[in-house]
Amino acid sequence: MAQSTLALGVEAVGCAGFDAGIKGAFGYPGTPSTEGFECVEALIHAAADGRVAQWAANEKVAYDLALGVSFAGFRTLVTMKHVGLNVALDAYANSALTGVHGGLVLLVADDPGMHSSQNEQDSRSLASFAWLPCLEPSTVQECYDFTLRAFDLSEALQVPVMVRLVTRLAHCRAPLDRREALAPTGLGPVPAAQAQDWVLIPSNARRRYEDLLAKQPRLLAALADLNRSVPGPSRRGVALAGMGRAYFHQLALEHPELRDLPRLELAAQPVDPDLEAAFLATVDEVLVFEEDYPLVETRLGLRARVKVHGRMDGALPRVGELSPRLLKAALGLAPSMGTPAELDLPVRAPRFCDGCGHVDAFEALQEALGNLGATAQARVFGDIGCYTLAAQEPLSALHAVVEMGASISMAVGAALAGLHPAVAVIGDSTFGHSGLPALLTAMDAGADVTILILDNRVVGMTGQQPSQALDQVERMVLGMGIPEASLQVLTPLPRHHEANVKAVAAALQQPGPSVLVFRRECIQSLRRGVLREHDRNEKAERASACCSLEVQP
Amino acid sequence: MSALRIHGIVLSGVGGQGVLSLAQIVLEALRRSGFHALQSEIHGMSQRGGSVQAQVCFAEVPLTSPILDEGSADLLIALEPLEALRHVAMLRPDGHLVASEEPSADMAGYPPLEDIYRALKAVRGACLLDTEDLARRLRHPQAGGMALLGMASRHLPVPEAVWQAVITERFAAKGERVITKNLEAFAAGQGLVPARAEA
Repeated sequence: MAQSTLALGVEAVGCAGFDAGIKGAFGYPGTPSTEGFECVEALIHAAADGRVAQWAANEKVAYDLALGVSFAGFRTLVTMKHVGLNVALDAYANSALTGVHGGLVLLVADDPGMHSSQNEQDSRSLASFAWLPCLEPSTVQECYDFTLRAFDLSEALQVPVMVRLVTRLAHCRAPLDRREALAPTGLGPVPAAQAQDWVLIPSNARRRYEDLLAKQPRLLAALADLNRSVPGPSRRGVALAGMGRAYFHQLALEHPELRDLPRLELAAQPVDPDLEAAFLATVDEVLVFEEDYPLVETRLGLRARVKVHGRMDGALPRVGELSPRLLKAALGLAPSMGTPAELDLPVRAPRFCDGCGHVDAFEALQEALGNLGATAQARVFGDIGCYTLAAQEPLSALHAVVEMGASISMAVGAALAGLHPAVAVIGDSTFGHSGLPALLTAMDAGADVTILILDNRVVGMTGQQPSQALDQVERMVLGMGIPEASLQVLTPLPRHHEANVKAVAAALQQPGPSVLVFRRECIQSLRRGVLREHDRNEKAERASACCSLEVQP
Repeated sequence: MSALRIHGIVLSGVGGQGVLSLAQIVLEALRRSGFHALQSEIHGMSQRGGSVQAQVCFAEVPLTSPILDEGSADLLIALEPLEALRHVAMLRPDGHLVASEEPSADMAGYPPLEDIYRALKAVRGACLLDTEDLARRLRHPQAGGMALLGMASRHLPVPEAVWQAVITERFAAKGERVITKNLEAFAAGQGLVPARAEA
């Protein structure tokens, strides 16, 4: 039954995945993509019809899981944020060569303006890099409709299809009309006769790469109706993609004269060069509104006759997200003005929650470094999570934060270069995401590093999703070859401060890699009772194990 | 074709105060009142005690831009006085400001409160509410947000019955008592019409 609800843009993609009859949904949390997975996860759990929704240890694992579902003959959805696609890029780029069996759709949420990210890379460039199609919705309803379309395209063209959102659309809440949901339909696994297509040894890979390139004209044809040229009486035109399309259309409601401008409206790439050429033939200059990199702008700029304006010539800022205000300025419309407060307003930066265990861990680390007289020369390599907040005042405790998992490997590299003390601080979920291989190398290299694993038992920052490393961190550390004497588990609470300082100091002085696990549940997840049931079950299991030992005959 | 008037509401506060939840109530209420409405919100790190902002746009035709330009909001609802000042530039000259007087000052460099109040009272159409006092009187620590919404409601084209229904449904999962408390806070806000607001 069709139904109308309110949904975020990313949730609309999740709904579409469910309604398209996916068998499995996978992802790794990351703002602004997280709610896309959570939405489809809730639908799958409610349906209880044998489908799977599974957070993965990282984005590459998530993508490979999806590719496995596709191989098995079912539709599948995989979700991540833009920098997560870097982690999954090996899988994504090579799945272009294997192709897909069941339809595979990749939701990627970009974050222009870096609201909650370490860069503002544009996932559209990774789609063209891999010779794969990318659909770019501009409204919540399009998020849904395009995702359904993406499944059809994926199966028709036998390629993975990316649906690219940006923060403003991912977190735009609007009415959504859904279609009737399809049940998963299995095609059966890839037939044995075609299995060689999936075995990317060089002889097969060469053939599959040529197949992929040969598919490109079909791909253009299949996407043709998503891109269009709309004529207008003016010789000045606009090229619109993504939120550029959304903002322009709304401005045209308020400024009817904008409807005179010829428009090139792009919702999918690759774009047919003939469409672009035909549009450019009708204008003398064109303003390009696209989110993130100047991709359309650069392409149009290669056709010399027409003047192209956008991020490269200063008509728009080179960095940051688009906004209606920037469009107005570029279009020469009078800016609307407000009256700011006549008072200097300090920034209210995000900060640690009151009572957060991370703060206790950092205070112990800083005091231990101070007691050893090592505060000045010590370098602390941080990672991605709530604890990244320690980089700012008042703690100022981190000296580098680059990407998921970098803390351990950078500290190892620095230690091998002679830096001492070299300290890594990483969360439990980030440790499971990409800290594990780094620890293996730390062990093999015998690097003199001190690694703090801040184990709050959940993926704190993105909304307290369960951590894949839940209750497993010590075993994982020992499994990597760290001796028991080099591993300590501590409780980051003010009343354990002195003991924790001593433990950190001892680890800093001990040669070779040492690991300190600071474990205390995130106070947000504790408040919400995220792990209450899990802990109750564990306790019951332990109790029954005890009993069975006691009642031996 | 003639130009169309698009209405905008900005909601602001501090992470954890319930700005996004309030924005969703406004969005749903406008939608049920027959408008095309969109809401934008920023998640992630800002929710850890930082500044939080949500925007709602509505009109009689479908809209596509979830974000407003400076000087284009009809209404600013702020759950914290500094976070009210931060967004006053979003208001149209004939816009309305409904803000809490209760500071959340646990941060470096928080300006003197009297300076903040003076700046807020200088905003045309400003309506301030001592949410701390109201919460005490209603014996409901979280009454502030709903009371501010009640005060703001006379600037919104939403019938009373729709507000009642949306608020009731929003808190349905939390039980009858929570629903009653929130309806009570909303009504208390509706009843407050400070003289300043008529200026």
